[in-house]
Amino acid sequence: MLYQIYHSTQFLYAQNVTLSHNLVRLKPRNTPFQTLVDFSISTDPTVSEMDNYDDYFGNHLSHILIREGHQHLKVIARSCVAMDIAAIEAHQLTHEFAKVLTYEQVVSALRTNNADILDAKQYCFPSHFISHASRDLRNYAQQSFEPSKSLYESVEEFMGRIFNDFSFVSGFSDISTPVDEVFAQRKGVCQDFAHLAITALRSLGLAVRYVSGYLETTPPDGEIKLFGVDASHAWFSVFIPGFGWFDFDPTNNIIPAHQHIVLGYGRDFGDCSPMQGVVLGSGSSYLNVMVDVTRDELEG
Amino acid sequence: MFDDYKSSSYDEMMDEHGTIRPHWKTIVDNLEELGLDNLEVKRQEIEWRLEDNGVTYNVYNDPSGASRPWSLDPIPLVLDENEWKIIEAGVAQRAKLLNLLFKDIYGEQRIVKEGIIPSEVILTHSGFLREVHGIYDHLAYPMMIVAVDLARGPDGKMWVISDRAQAPSGLGYAVENRLTMNSALQVLYKNINVQRLYSFFEHFKEILLGLGKNSSGNSLNVLLSPGPHNETYFEHSYLSSFLGLTLVQGQDLLAKGGALWLKSLKGLRRIDAVVRRVDESYCDPLELRSESKLGVAGLVQVLRKRGVTMANPLGSGILENLGLYPFLPQLARYFLDEELLLPQVATWWCGQEKEREYVLENLHLLTIKTIDRSADEPSFYVGKTLSLQAREVLKNKILQQPHRYVGQEEVMFATAPTFIDEKIVPRKILIRSFAVKTSEAYEVMPGALVRVSCDDALIVTGQGGGSSKDLWIIGEDIPPTTLTQTMNGMSQTLYASLLPIVPTMTSVFKSKNISENSLENIPTLRAENLFWLGRYLMRTITSARMVRLTLKTLANATRYDRNGDEKVQEVLCAALTHLSMTYPGFLGTGDQKITKPIDEIWSVMADPNRIGSLTQVLTMLLGASSSTKNLLPLEGWRIYERLMREWSDFTHKQQPTQRDMIAGIDKLLVQLMAYKALIEETLFVEQGLVLYDIGARLERAGLLIAKARSMLTSEYEPFVEYEVLEALLGTSESLNAYRAHYRSSIEIKQVSEFLLLDMQFPKSLISEISQLLKALPKLPKFKHEMYLSRYEEPLFEAFSQLRLEKIDHLCEKQGGTFVRENMDAVLSSVADKLIIAAIELSKTYFSHYDE
Repeated sequence: MLYQIYHSTQFLYAQNVTLSHNLVRLKPRNTPFQTLVDFSISTDPTVSEMDNYDDYFGNHLSHILIREGHQHLKVIARSCVAMDIAAIEAHQLTHEFAKVLTYEQVVSALRTNNADILDAKQYCFPSHFISHASRDLRNYAQQSFEPSKSLYESVEEFMGRIFNDFSFVSGFSDISTPVDEVFAQRKGVCQDFAHLAITALRSLGLAVRYVSGYLETTPPDGEIKLFGVDASHAWFSVFIPGFGWFDFDPTNNIIPAHQHIVLGYGRDFGDCSPMQGVVLGSGSSYLNVMVDVTRDELEG
Repeated sequence: MFDDYKSSSYDEMMDEHGTIRPHWKTIVDNLEELGLDNLEVKRQEIEWRLEDNGVTYNVYNDPSGASRPWSLDPIPLVLDENEWKIIEAGVAQRAKLLNLLFKDIYGEQRIVKEGIIPSEVILTHSGFLREVHGIYDHLAYPMMIVAVDLARGPDGKMWVISDRAQAPSGLGYAVENRLTMNSALQVLYKNINVQRLYSFFEHFKEILLGLGKNSSGNSLNVLLSPGPHNETYFEHSYLSSFLGLTLVQGQDLLAKGGALWLKSLKGLRRIDAVVRRVDESYCDPLELRSESKLGVAGLVQVLRKRGVTMANPLGSGILENLGLYPFLPQLARYFLDEELLLPQVATWWCGQEKEREYVLENLHLLTIKTIDRSADEPSFYVGKTLSLQAREVLKNKILQQPHRYVGQEEVMFATAPTFIDEKIVPRKILIRSFAVKTSEAYEVMPGALVRVSCDDALIVTGQGGGSSKDLWIIGEDIPPTTLTQTMNGMSQTLYASLLPIVPTMTSVFKSKNISENSLENIPTLRAENLFWLGRYLMRTITSARMVRLTLKTLANATRYDRNGDEKVQEVLCAALTHLSMTYPGFLGTGDQKITKPIDEIWSVMADPNRIGSLTQVLTMLLGASSSTKNLLPLEGWRIYERLMREWSDFTHKQQPTQRDMIAGIDKLLVQLMAYKALIEETLFVEQGLVLYDIGARLERAGLLIAKARSMLTSEYEPFVEYEVLEALLGTSESLNAYRAHYRSSIEIKQVSEFLLLDMQFPKSLISEISQLLKALPKLPKFKHEMYLSRYEEPLFEAFSQLRLEKIDHLCEKQGGTFVRENMDAVLSSVADKLIIAAIELSKTYFSHYDE
C-alpha cells in the first residue's frame, strides 16, 4: 500500500530576509513497517546550499541555506511511502507476546545497562520539552499501573484515559505551553497529549519516545476529501525490553498501524521539529502549513 | 615578619612546627630583606600596573556593568620542581585521558557498551550534545586545551578538584600575572631560578598557526568571544593579541559552503581555526540554543563538514561532569592501562544504589553537587550548613533524579602566605593548571593561575572576589635568568623582555598583527560600529549644542524687543525639533501645541523612551562604543563611563531649574568633546578611523542641512534674522571663524555662503562633502580607476550641485513670498543624496549576503 504525502511550509516575513539557515526534517525514515519509495523537496526561493545527513536518532535532515533577499519562503516536501501490510499484521502477534511482561519486570530491566536496552535508555530521562513530572501528573498516571499488571495493557488503559479525560482543542496551546498547563486545563492537541504521556510515563521509569508523522484521514461518508486538510501528527512509543518499541496514539485512542506514517522520532518535539530556521533581517514571521496524505489508488 | 604567621590547615610555606619549608627559604629571605614597608610599596605598584594595563574581571549581573580591577598578591606561590614534575605528569595524563574519553563519547561509546560506565552518566548530563556525535572521528586530538583545578589536602598531597574542558579561562590572567611580577618584583627573584613560560607559549602558538596550514596562503585564526560584557573579556582581548588571533564575536561570522567566514571590510575571509570562549550551547542558534545571540547559525554544520578547527570542540562540556569522577580510575586503566597519577576528591555518584545510600546517610558530612550546572537550581549544597528541613528537601530531589547528583568529600584547602592589610597571613588557595596539545603530547604550562580566597571561606572563585597569585616553580635544574644584562640601563620593557616569556609578546606583535590590522581586515561589526560611532557622536554633540542655545535664548528673553525675542525663540525651538527629529515637538498645533517649552526641552534631553532625545542617542552611542573598547586607551573608557554615569544621575533627578539644565548640558558637552578628541587622536586609519570619519561627516552634513533649512530659508525682520544667524553660527562652531573671515556684521547672504558654499571653510557643507569624496577611496572595495562607486555617485552629484550654485540664486525669494525656495530645494536634494550614499555604503560594506 502506497501513501503520497504533500507537506508545504510557508513563512511570511515582515521585512526582507537576506540570509536564512534552515533545518528541515521532512523526509520519512524507514521502519520495519514502512519504506520510503520516493522523496523530493523544492523551495521558493531556490536554495543556495543543501546538505543532507542523519542525526543521532537516525532521522533524515536537510540543512538549507538561502542567500537571496526574500519576504516569503516556501518549502514543499513530497514523499511516497510504502506500508508493509504483511509485516504490520505479523507484528500483531508480537503485541500479544509483549503483554506478558509486567510493569515491574519492564522497569527493572530498564535499570540495567544491558546491550539490548542501551539505545532505549536515553528516552528515560527529562529532555528539552519533557521536564520532571509534577506529583499530580505522576499520581494521575500511576492509577493505571500496578507492579504485577501487564505493562502493555496499562499503557493502553492510560492512553484511553487521556483520550477520555482531555479534549482536542486547537489554538489553546503552542509548542511553548508547559505540560502542567495542558494537564490542568485537560485540553490540547496531539503534540500536547504526546508530551504529557511521555512526561508521565518517564516519571514511572519507562523509556518513551516522541514520534512525529502523518495520519491518513477519511472524510465523512458521501463527501469528497479536500486537498490539504490533513495535518502533521504526533504520538508516543514505549519500549518493552525483549520486544522493542510499541506505538500508542492518545489523540485517537488507537494503536497505530497502517494509517500512521512515521516521519521521525526522538526524545520530544525538539528532536523532530519539521522545520526550524534562523533568519537575518526580520523580526516577525507568519507560518502557514499545509499537509495532504492520500492513498495511492492504483496500488490500492 | 612571620612571627605571628599561623595556619589552621596545611600551609605551603610553614610546616606544623613553624619551620619554613626548604624550597621557600630563599624567597622568605628575599621577603625579609625587602621588609613589610617595601612590600606594601610593591603591592601598590602591582595594583597600579594592573590598572594601567586595564586588567579587569567583570562582575556578572552588576547593574552598573562595573568591572573590577584584577588583583595580584605580591607573594608568589612557590613549588619545588620535583613536586611539580609529579603534578605535571598527572595533569598531562588527565588531559590525555579526557581526550580519549571525549573521542569515545562522541564516537563508538565503547565505555558504555562494554559497561565501564553506566550510560546514565552521559545521557543525563546537559553537556552531551547529540548534534556533534560522530563528527570528530577524523581527529586524533580534538581536545586542545584542558585546565585542571588542584588543591592540596591535609595529607600534603595535591588533589584534583575539578576539570575545565569546555572553554577554560585563566591563561591570559596567568600570563599577565607573570609579566607584572617580572616588572614589579625583580627583587624577589634574587638567587632563585624560576621556570619560564616562554617555550610553552611558543609551542602553543605554533600549534595554532599549524591549524590553518591546510588552506592556501595566510591562515586566519580567531578567538570567538561573547563580547565586552563577559566577565573575562579582558582576557579574550589580551590572549587574542598575545596568541596572534583575531578577536571576533558571533555577529562577525558567517557560515556557508561548509566553511566559516569572517565578515571584513574587504569582504568574506575564510577562517581556519576558532579558539572558542563562547559557551558551547550558545554557539549555534540553528542547532543548539535557539535563543542565543552569541553564536553563528550553521556553525555545527561547518564542523560536520570539517570546514573549521575548533579549540575546544563543541561537546567538550560533557567532560566537566562530576558523575564521571568515580569512574575515572577505571577509565584510566581502560584507555591508558595506567593508574591515575593525581588523586581526586572522593566522589559518590547517586545513580548507583550503594553510593546513593551512602550519600543519603552522610548528607551532613558531604558536599552535594549536581553533575552539571543548570539555571534551575544551585549547583552545590554544603551538607553541614543545611537545616534538617533543607536536608529532607535535598534528599527528595536526589531520590527523584539520582543520576543528577554526586556527593563529594568536603575539600580542605591548604593555605599560602598572602599579603593583606600590610601583614602576611595564611589564605586558602586553588591552583588552575593548563595543558595544551602540542606536537605529540600534552604540554603542561610550568606555572599556573593561583586563586586566593578573600577570607577563611571554603570557596575560592573568580566571581566571589579574592585575589590571585603567580605560581613559581623553582629548582636547581632550571637555567638561571640572566640578570647581568639588566645592568646596562635599559628601558623597563626591554629589561622585562629578557625575562621569562616576554619575547613571545614582542614577536607576536611584530609578526602577525601587522597584516591583521590593515583596514581591509577589520571585522565588519567593528567597521559598522565605528561608522555609527562617528554618526552618533556628532548627533549628540550637535543636539546638545542646539539644546543649550535654545535654553539660553529662552532664559535671556527681553533684552531689546519683546516681539522679536518671541520670534527668535519660536525659530530656535522649531529648529531643535527639526534637528533632533522629535516630532511633533515645537511644531505641534492645536492640542499638541507646546505650552511649557522648558518641559518639552527637558523631555528632549532626558526622556529615554523618546526617539531622538539626548539620552536615547547616548544609548545608541553606547552600543557603537562598546566594540571600540579595545581600540581606545583606558582613559577613553573612563571618560565615557563617567559621562554616561553622570548624565544618568542628572536625568534621573526631578526636572532641574533652567540654569541647572544649562549647567548639565555644559558638563556633557565638555565630556563629549574630550571623548571625541581622544578618538580622533588615538585611532589610526588602519584601525578604522576612516569609517568613523565618514560617519561623522555624513552626520554633520545632514545636521547642518536640517538646521539651515529651518533657520535660513525664511525671511525675518532684521533683528530676528541677526539673532537666528548668530545662533546658527554658534551651534555650528563657526561664529569665530565667520567673524575672522568677514570682519563685518552678520547677514544672510554671507552666512549662507560661508556655511554652505565656501570651499575654504572646513565646516561648510560643500567642504564636508568634498572631504567625504576624498575619504571614500580609502575603503578597500570597488576601487575603480575610471568610474565612481555606487556610494560615491550621489555624493559627487551633491558636490557638483553645490559647486555650481551662486549665493544670489540661493537667497532669492520667490514671487513676493518670504521663502527662499531655491535654497530649500537645493538643500532638500543634497539631503536625499546623502541618505542614498549612506544606504549604498552600508549595503556594500556591512551586509555580506550577496557575496
